[in-house]
Amino acid sequence: MSTPLLDYIASGKHRAYRRVCSLDLAAEFAALKLSPIERMVRRLERMLAAEMPVILEDEQICFMRTLKNLPDCFTEEEWKDIRAEYDIHELGYLSNLSPNYSRGISRGLLDLRNEADEYGARAIDAILDLTDRYREKAIELGRTDIAEVLARVPRYGASTFREALQSFRILHFALWYEGNYHITVGRFDRYMYPYLKADLEAGILTEESALALIEDFFISFNKDSDLYPGVQQGDNGQSMMLGGVDENGCDCFNLLSSLCLKASRNNMMIDPKINLRVSASTPAERFTEATELTKAGLGFPQYSNDDVVIPALISLGYAPEDAANYTVAACWEFIIPHVGADVANIAALSYPAALDRALHRDLAGCESYEDFFACVLREIGAEAERICSRIKKLWFVPSPFMNVLMDCNIYEGGKYNNFGIHGTGIATAADSLAVIKRYVFEERSIGKAELLEAVDDNFEHAPEMLHKLRYESPKLGNNDDYVDSIAAALLEGFADSLEGKRNCRGGIFRAGTGSAMYYLWHANEIGASPDGRRRGEPFGTNFSVSLFAKVKGPVSVIASMTKPNFSRAINGGPLTLEFHSSLFADEGSTEKVGVLVKRFIELGGHQLQLNAVSLDKLLDAQKHPENYRQLVVRIWGWSAYFVELDREYQDHVIARQVYSI
Amino acid sequence: MTGVIFDIKEMAVHDGPGIRTTVFFKGCPLRCRWCHNPEGLSALPQIFYKKVRCIGCGSCQVACDHPECALLGRCIHACPENCLEAVGREVDAATLAGELLASAEVMGGLFGGFTFSGGEPLQQSDFILELAPRLRPHHLCAETSGYASGDVFARLLDVLDFVIFDLKLAEPAAHRMYTGVDNAPILANLQTLKASGKPHLIRTPLVPEITDTEENLAAIGALAGESEWEKLPFNALYGAKYEMLGMAPSEIK
Repeated sequence: MSTPLLDYIASGKHRAYRRVCSLDLAAEFAALKLSPIERMVRRLERMLAAEMPVILEDEQICFMRTLKNLPDCFTEEEWKDIRAEYDIHELGYLSNLSPNYSRGISRGLLDLRNEADEYGARAIDAILDLTDRYREKAIELGRTDIAEVLARVPRYGASTFREALQSFRILHFALWYEGNYHITVGRFDRYMYPYLKADLEAGILTEESALALIEDFFISFNKDSDLYPGVQQGDNGQSMMLGGVDENGCDCFNLLSSLCLKASRNNMMIDPKINLRVSASTPAERFTEATELTKAGLGFPQYSNDDVVIPALISLGYAPEDAANYTVAACWEFIIPHVGADVANIAALSYPAALDRALHRDLAGCESYEDFFACVLREIGAEAERICSRIKKLWFVPSPFMNVLMDCNIYEGGKYNNFGIHGTGIATAADSLAVIKRYVFEERSIGKAELLEAVDDNFEHAPEMLHKLRYESPKLGNNDDYVDSIAAALLEGFADSLEGKRNCRGGIFRAGTGSAMYYLWHANEIGASPDGRRRGEPFGTNFSVSLFAKVKGPVSVIASMTKPNFSRAINGGPLTLEFHSSLFADEGSTEKVGVLVKRFIELGGHQLQLNAVSLDKLLDAQKHPENYRQLVVRIWGWSAYFVELDREYQDHVIARQVYSI
Repeated sequence: MTGVIFDIKEMAVHDGPGIRTTVFFKGCPLRCRWCHNPEGLSALPQIFYKKVRCIGCGSCQVACDHPECALLGRCIHACPENCLEAVGREVDAATLAGELLASAEVMGGLFGGFTFSGGEPLQQSDFILELAPRLRPHHLCAETSGYASGDVFARLLDVLDFVIFDLKLAEPAAHRMYTGVDNAPILANLQTLKASGKPHLIRTPLVPEITDTEENLAAIGALAGESEWEKLPFNALYGAKYEMLGMAPSEIK
């Protein structure tokens, strides 16, 4: 459903208001020898003061960036010193947190100021000052509706749904401006529903006007997102969680959840990223309702299974009430809102690399498959040890405003300080092990040296062997225990390798099933692999089957991918299924896709993400990008505009398994 | 006994109620000019050659003793690009039932059932009669052109819960011209189906200027009567698979 505001933002016209910020704050701060926290608050004050209020025609929810860049707080020289002394994760600023927006919205910043430290208080003053300037602008433009809202929020607690949404927008805007990134929305339908309910009961809103308001609010996530840091455009972590149970096990899905699914479908924008918590007791109609959004082609919602995730988090040591309240970080990592400070993406382990080392060092001397598998596990253990011992002194730049909105002292960490490690290329490794088990040790039809030579030679002189390994050997995704059990054992081995290890912040290490961008990076670190994968070919994303594996279809894939025990490997990372968009042609088939999702959940799958893709469109879009500006695809934990991606990410989407009718 | 099938498709969503698994039987007495499943025409196993993927490496020109490669004179198990693929395999009822039931088991109580498609499943009716009881208690459906003797049709109808009946052209001459066979047995079997009270769906592919004419649709509408009738949009890519089989679309005229 197109509206003037939607078209305006989607076409990027609002970017005309942007200016370059030429302040060299790092040099200035360095000269004054300011402390990191002083720099953070001073930068926020300066940036917000330099902002120019802009209120767009027709918008109900305002605030957007007019400064293109956020100057760093430290000079390059200083960063070198910092990196010499500390372990720095990614950009060094806080990320992947789920702040307590609810507290800010319900109590208002003036009230929170009483509890804030001096830096937090200064941040609040700067935010309120910009809010006042926005209010003056609204009055000047005759937008008394906006002026009235800004007179209340975020200074005081919100009294209506609209005020609550506007308050959220300002808090979110300020958190990003402070330099934090990949800030997630959390369980939005839980904390926002009381405002909606009250307004509906009071007759202030109808379902229809509420939906329009939510659509306007959702657009706000797309105003500044191209300025946010990320590996590719779209990788910005504005994840929203809907549905799921509360701490008493009661289903939280409500009218707002439904309206959010609809708003996302109507807007057809890549933010916010919609996640849905479900369980075996979720009614079938809800899967159909959610599949309407899948059908739209945004790659939303991503499902996670309460039946699996909550007990697994509890068994890792999370308090039951916190586990029940889980949400996702930027992509799919399970984190706890408000109190959690897990670094859920600290590193990634490559299963195929571990296998590659064992292949070269140990295969020749192995008497049995079991011997060889033990060597692979030893390599996984050694890699886990390297990863875990590498991070000794983790430091984040302190963020005083983030601290205001967290229910813990985020300068020091949180109630949970666990580190998550992704696991890349599980299908490539499991398929390779199945080849070695069957042909080298059982049939003895391929010699050890022969296999090694062919792999090292990228199969250049062994076309028949390549054919056999690539197209005629067991592959993960066919509901074949022969190889499915190997994948399960690898996951188990990964979890074992992290068992009992403590990180430098006192937390544990969590094994995961995600890959993030490592499905390309790790694939380039090794040559060909025994599953018939040639040198340079990427792995599947996250917890998926191999790109070239012949699989029977989505039913067998969900059977294979729900066999492992996720209770000890619950950092997150979904199975991804791509369906040809024609599958969703009629209402009946949409319902049937919903049934497949329901079955995945019943079978004990942990996380699932589905895409509706049209290969013809993707190929044409590579040739004529100008015709496909709004074409959306899912990458690894986020959706993106296809034409804005680098070619290697485009090609990977095209190479994935697509199930048609 | 054995049958010849060319595909098993999981999550077939347009082949009857619920999430189904469809098995495609090889061999069809009709030669519809718009056929988009040419691999279902011949009753024998064939080789698919995906020319666009061929890099001309010559790896397939290697001596081998695979029976399936004999008729081609090239080895289909040596291609690094998987350009050559056997289409169709002979399978016995117990083995096929085992494969099919595995997908039903995955879906548990949410499984819709099995659909026999093709090709023309009626061509292998004896095999299906042996297979069907092994698939019970699941819901069984056939997607058929209805072209078979009344006896064969009635016996198969007996073991099915649902029939998708393809009705292409009502006028006998046009039917002969565009499908190569007479439609008298089809129309007779349609009456049997309607009289049986068995749940069914009549389907008409909308082929431009052949089946989608006003007269034809009116006549089929009349034949369908009270029955549920679905018109299928034409698959414009129908020609793509012919070259892979070394056939020209014109060969089926």
